[in-house]
Amino acid sequence: MAVRIVTDSTADISQDQAGAAGITIVPLTVFFGNEAYLDGVDLDNAGFYQKLSTSKALPRTSQPSPAAFQEAYTRLIDEGADAILSIHLSAKLSGTYQSACTARDTLPDTVKKIPIEIIDSQSISVGMSWAILLAAREAREGLGLVEIKAHVLDQLPRTRILAMLDTLEYLKRGGRIGGARAMLGSMLSVKPIISVRDGEVVPVEQPRTRSKAYARIAQLVQEMGKVEHISLAESDDEVGQQLAQVIKTVYTGELPIYRLGAVLVTHAGPGTAAVAVVSAK
Amino acid sequence: MQEQTSYTPVRTQRPRRISVFDGQDLKKALLAGAASLEEHRETINDLNVFPVPDGDTGSNMSATMQAAMRDIVDSEDTAAGTIAARAARAALFGARGNSGLILSQILRGLAQGLDKKQTFSAPDLALALQEAQRFAYRAVLKPVEGTILTVVRETAEAAQVSAQRGDDLVALVQEVVMAARQAVAHTPDLLPALKEAGVVDAGGQGLSMILEGVWHYVRREMGTDGTGASPASMLHTMSPAPETSARKGRVTIDEEFGYEVVFLLRGEKLDVAKIRQAIIDMGGVSTVVAGDEKLLKVHTHTEQPGKVLDYGVSLGSLLDINIENLQEQSLTYAAASEAEHAAEQAQPATQQIATVAVVAGAGFEKVFRSIGVTAIVPGGQTMNPSVEELLTAVDAVGPHQVILLPNNSNVVLSARQVASLTSKTAYIVPTETMPQGIAALLGFNFEADFESNCKVMTEAAASIQTAEITTAVRTAQVSGVRVREGDYIGLVNGDLVIAGQDIEHVIQETLQRMHIERYEIVTLYFGEDVARQQAEETAKRIKGKYSHLEIEVVDGGQPHYAYILSAE
Repeated sequence: MAVRIVTDSTADISQDQAGAAGITIVPLTVFFGNEAYLDGVDLDNAGFYQKLSTSKALPRTSQPSPAAFQEAYTRLIDEGADAILSIHLSAKLSGTYQSACTARDTLPDTVKKIPIEIIDSQSISVGMSWAILLAAREAREGLGLVEIKAHVLDQLPRTRILAMLDTLEYLKRGGRIGGARAMLGSMLSVKPIISVRDGEVVPVEQPRTRSKAYARIAQLVQEMGKVEHISLAESDDEVGQQLAQVIKTVYTGELPIYRLGAVLVTHAGPGTAAVAVVSAK
Repeated sequence: MQEQTSYTPVRTQRPRRISVFDGQDLKKALLAGAASLEEHRETINDLNVFPVPDGDTGSNMSATMQAAMRDIVDSEDTAAGTIAARAARAALFGARGNSGLILSQILRGLAQGLDKKQTFSAPDLALALQEAQRFAYRAVLKPVEGTILTVVRETAEAAQVSAQRGDDLVALVQEVVMAARQAVAHTPDLLPALKEAGVVDAGGQGLSMILEGVWHYVRREMGTDGTGASPASMLHTMSPAPETSARKGRVTIDEEFGYEVVFLLRGEKLDVAKIRQAIIDMGGVSTVVAGDEKLLKVHTHTEQPGKVLDYGVSLGSLLDINIENLQEQSLTYAAASEAEHAAEQAQPATQQIATVAVVAGAGFEKVFRSIGVTAIVPGGQTMNPSVEELLTAVDAVGPHQVILLPNNSNVVLSARQVASLTSKTAYIVPTETMPQGIAALLGFNFEADFESNCKVMTEAAASIQTAEITTAVRTAQVSGVRVREGDYIGLVNGDLVIAGQDIEHVIQETLQRMHIERYEIVTLYFGEDVARQQAEETAKRIKGKYSHLEIEVVDGGQPHYAYILSAE
């Protein structure tokens, strides 16, 4: 029949879009105190903000269980999939990839009748979503697992995330700060620009103001030379529109805008906007 | 003209001819020149056009000249070329401020002209002065007439004319001195700022004073002056070296003795000043200690290397120990550069590019450290670090690629020299204020290579506005603004825009002149004499007038400047 594509909720692909593209999303979990919500399922972006402003407890996040992955894989196998390609956020940022691997490796042989390939994207959010959508399209077109996987592995390293945060506080609190730790401790308020390299958060620059941060991101995009595609992710309309406007001065192609999910906002904080730039080959 | 120097009469009598000088003559002539400069240090300081408390020309030039003299005063070398080369090299390392740096280049040109010469004649000296002029102009990116450059050029021209007339050093020096006096007197015609202030150029006057001293020596040598003082007594007439040099313990040594000890010291909370003093107390001469509290480089000459090393071990771990017998070698930089190379390998390769900043004020130091500067050279306003201090800091950091932030317009030229002296790849982002330096450092791109960072940091530095509020140290008229000593003055990007008795008024006027309404974020660094609460109130008043601004109040702890403010 076909190759089926699986990812997790940190790809920031909406339920609707996933449904249309034939992508299966396994959600991570967001906890407010003891209350658990499935990212993007029980909790949409608006609901998350509502919770964030009213809940006394700070949110925590958790990877999907191996059981959740087994359930998804089993369902796809039952539906007649020829193969599964499961693409996830960086294993250095979350246990999601490991959980998916465990799920595959512990599937009973009676169920696991098809090849299941799991990819650590070494990225997150829009840094992997374009490659996932591409994979889904190729799957619909009937391409085989080997070919699709090769395309994904070709695309991911050419994709670079540049994200502007309002503060490093959330990254620090969530323990996902990585190399951006170098920017902590600044006695001056900055709007840090970060990236993800080799699966880890890395610092890029420390502009003092939002407008400078947007301008620098646009400049960095320009310096990347020929661009194949850019996607944008935002925690809210305002920052997203502001960044989009500046990006459009240096890039005339299609610019899809994604909404950062609850897990991403828990770790990056409100006021985050990011672009994922795919360099042309 | 404010300058009230009593000149040695030039035309009183015509001494007999001298056709050649040797190294010892040159040494004594330079010592006399240095003594004359030191004697007039304060009057030269007073020629400062700008009423801001900045590095003073007289002090900077004299410190530079004395660094050179300390290196040659005890030398018995009779080769003129050797004496000139040693003086030039020591001057370069000891150069402070732009005027000191240009002076060091004049000496360097002189040394170039006298290279390999045992003795020199009038035509030789004329040629050497041509070289001096060439080097001086080359040291400055945009040469300005009406400065020390004009004076050195006109003296070089006079020397050439004199040498063509006859082979007499007495006549040549006399005509050179005459030309220098005239050139200095004409500087206000060439530089409107001098005319407005009613002074001659301080750097030009400094050079002229050196030449007067040389002339004094030549006359004395002719026996027309009676005394015939020994070089030691001439050095004695110099005032003590400026505090900064004295602390460094740069006393004169004969290079042919003892051992040169160089090592890197890694530890915690290392106190550079204390360690330097301790090594000097142990008998270390030419001692340089530079770096930061975690890693520093020690360079000293001593008869007992073991003692210094033991002391080092008591403070932390030693890296790249290098001991050279000074009798066996001529000093080269190869050893030092090798030590650096090894240090680099010993350090984790997380950071490939180091940043070194010149910073004044405890608060500013903290800010620079908080945004990731690799090493700090204390100084800036009032105390300009020497080329050697900058060089040592650049050499002491681990990475081989270094970006240097001078953070003061009077340190930029010295910093540029470092790029050619170090064995590392050094780039100078020509920051003229500390906020520019901070902007550059915040612009540092963690992912980019050295070249891209040089570019992006330079752009970042240029993208912000700096305002400074300080107190006038002298009465003056600058760019049409009348300033009385003790007035508060406001500067925007280094230009004086307002003076007055009321600090709030001066602040508000300064902000208006910098078009503060066009910017988003203002950082207000308050100085060591301002309380935080005072600064917070000032910030509140600014916010009251410009409500869209985000204002951050930071303890800069800078001396002399009540406020340093950046807008972006």
